[in-house]
Amino acid sequence: MLSLLLWRRARSLRNRVAFFTPYEWARNSVFGLAGLGLLYGLYCGFLRLLAYLATVPLIGNLLLWKLTSMLMLTTLGMVVISSLLTSLSIIYYSYDLKFLMKVPVSLTTIFIDKSLESIFFSSWMIGLILVPYVLAMMKVNGLGWGFFAAFVVLMAPFLLLAAAVGVAFTVVVLYLFPSSRTRDVIWVMSSLSMTMVYGLVRFSKPERLIRPDALRVVADYLNFLQAPTAPVLPSWWITKALISLSSGQYEAFATYAALLFAAAAVFYGGLVWLAGKLYFQGYSGAQEGPLRRRPVVIEPLPEARWLPGAAGILFWRERVAFFRDVKHWSQIFLILGLIFVYLFSIQRMPTDNADIRRLVSFLNIGTAGFVIAALGLRFTFPSISLEGKSWWVLAAAPVTPREIMRQKLVFSLVPMSTIALILGASANHLLRADAFTAYLSLGSLLVITWAICAMGVGFGALFPMFTVENIHQIESSVGGFVYMAACLFYIGANIMVLSWPMKMHFEELYGRTHAWDSHLMALCAGAWIVVNAFAFTVPWLLGRRALESYEVH
Amino acid sequence: MIEITGLVKKFGELSAVKGLDLSVGPGEIFGFLGPNGAGKTTTVKLITGLLKPTAGTIKVCGFDIAKQTLEAKRVMGLVPDEPFVYPKLTGAEYLRFIGELYGVPLAHQKKRIPELLEMFELSGWSGELVESYSHGMRQKLVLGGILLHEPKVLVLDEPMVGLDPKSARMAKEILTTLAARGTCIFMCTHVLEIAEKLCGRIGIMIKGEMIALGTLEELRGKARGGSDLEDIFLSLTGGQEYSALLKHL
Repeated sequence: MLSLLLWRRARSLRNRVAFFTPYEWARNSVFGLAGLGLLYGLYCGFLRLLAYLATVPLIGNLLLWKLTSMLMLTTLGMVVISSLLTSLSIIYYSYDLKFLMKVPVSLTTIFIDKSLESIFFSSWMIGLILVPYVLAMMKVNGLGWGFFAAFVVLMAPFLLLAAAVGVAFTVVVLYLFPSSRTRDVIWVMSSLSMTMVYGLVRFSKPERLIRPDALRVVADYLNFLQAPTAPVLPSWWITKALISLSSGQYEAFATYAALLFAAAAVFYGGLVWLAGKLYFQGYSGAQEGPLRRRPVVIEPLPEARWLPGAAGILFWRERVAFFRDVKHWSQIFLILGLIFVYLFSIQRMPTDNADIRRLVSFLNIGTAGFVIAALGLRFTFPSISLEGKSWWVLAAAPVTPREIMRQKLVFSLVPMSTIALILGASANHLLRADAFTAYLSLGSLLVITWAICAMGVGFGALFPMFTVENIHQIESSVGGFVYMAACLFYIGANIMVLSWPMKMHFEELYGRTHAWDSHLMALCAGAWIVVNAFAFTVPWLLGRRALESYEVH
Repeated sequence: MIEITGLVKKFGELSAVKGLDLSVGPGEIFGFLGPNGAGKTTTVKLITGLLKPTAGTIKVCGFDIAKQTLEAKRVMGLVPDEPFVYPKLTGAEYLRFIGELYGVPLAHQKKRIPELLEMFELSGWSGELVESYSHGMRQKLVLGGILLHEPKVLVLDEPMVGLDPKSARMAKEILTTLAARGTCIFMCTHVLEIAEKLCGRIGIMIKGEMIALGTLEELRGKARGGSDLEDIFLSLTGGQEYSALLKHL
């Protein structure tokens, strides 16, 4: 029966590819090429880093493998956390589970089918990122393709083990606390863990490893470098297997490889056996809706006091629903982590030169703008599509697309402007930027943020996806790609235009008389107005028109 | 109250509605029947402004849905075939949202919302999130929303699906009462018994065309016999061919 379930997957995949339209072929090819480009970029980065580390006298090789073991440990941790989230949605909340539970297929078979899907989706991307690292490692150490083949073979039990740990945790927790409330708790815990891992990696200051002055310190810890990294974990076993293979110790390689395969088989076998006993109770409990009685209050809506008309009503509904969705909380944790790491990175920059500080403060428009655009992709752009299948309520109601879009814009503006202010003002403070640079960068960052919000709502209305269930499908859609590309282009155009007054400011500081050219300033102001007027109005109008003519099928 | 003239809707090559002319007056319950894929739901979506007509006009209480969209929507209420409602709102909040959206005065909401929740036996669930509601409970909630803003024209697409017998009976009585008060009701249904009991006039659509329109007596005459609406419907829509297939069971 398992083979039948797997056949349906293969068939669905084949049908999906067979029914690609020329447009979808083109789009997927573009995305595929972009992905390959990204992997190549990673390969170049890893190659540069590893080549540098390999040249360090005495400890070069030790450093390479220490880094590898740490990378494997990080991979292990990330796959476990990723598996927590993925297994929860796939094993307990997949749309086809209601069908599968009705047909005469054993629970164990359903669990194997779903757990394999979960293991694949929680690990493939993280595993793929290791490929350019291993290729760079092969190049630096002069290893052949046999090494790569061994790596690929060993990754299967390694990733299976890591993901199975997350699955096992979810199965046990859902059995002990069979409620959809558990889903929310796991979401929040996983997001917090992810934020902590992200923060810890950054706060450990990995850049010290590639600075010669820091390397002297590393040399003092030769013993630390030689010591195994978490020897009881599979990340060390796979590292040891690869080390052994690279140095021709085939017996040790075989031992560690066998250990990995045996552990994966025993652990996954045990998990399947356990799931046979625990899965159904957890599944059954997870389907029950969360009963959290809230008081019924019929009083004037707070938002209606300051937002007249339908916008106030829509804002109220959006606010209430937003903060009840645990998936949004998890994103908020990640954003907080991101802000801290961002400011920490600014603080770590060399700031002994005032010109560099000015320049970084100015270029911060671009980096902070990019962060805002990325947040817009997660929050603003999908906001219209997230109306989902309830869109008919608004479509049939006496409310215009313009009012809906306005509300979405207002809802995004407040938090995004706050984040932009924190990123801009704190960076300027940390960099001790002069008044002109600080005002220029902060002011333009705020305008960029507002424009990005307007573009997010505009493009979101231009490419609505009311039928998708997963927000990631909205983010990674063509519309998301167009929005992100437009944002990057817009930020770039802003930096180009604003670099003129910045240049004149520098010239004035260097003592040039009549540094401020009024004609050039007028031209710059004109260009700035055109760029921003375009960003504020064109996507907005296109989106409004698209939403007005949108048909609810 | 509903005036449809030369209504055409095409999806690419497919004509879902082919030149529909129809008028439904105040206080009338109009039953719209047809086999799957006949174009009934498409017509409902065209009337309520969820789809744009390829040709023709629709007027609701004299307002052209294409040109006076907001005015038309303000006097109309829709119960769709699938009652998708904001999962993260509670039942009471959904009604509150609808009340505000349609401009129902706060004092009226304070009085009506608890009454409606009580009427549909949702009082105990009013503080729970809609995501924990069953299909039938959501259907009742949507009906409650419609009753809150008291539209002059009510458009329903399979309103009884998912309702328990008691709620279905209540829904039927509500529709009869509303019609008696002058509300114009346009209802799509597959439940012929409901159409037979409730509807003053019935229209039968096949492949986008209205093949029969009239009272039950008029349809009976057209079908040349048949004791109930089921016989009439099957006679008019050619639904007897399955008999041969049944022999293979």
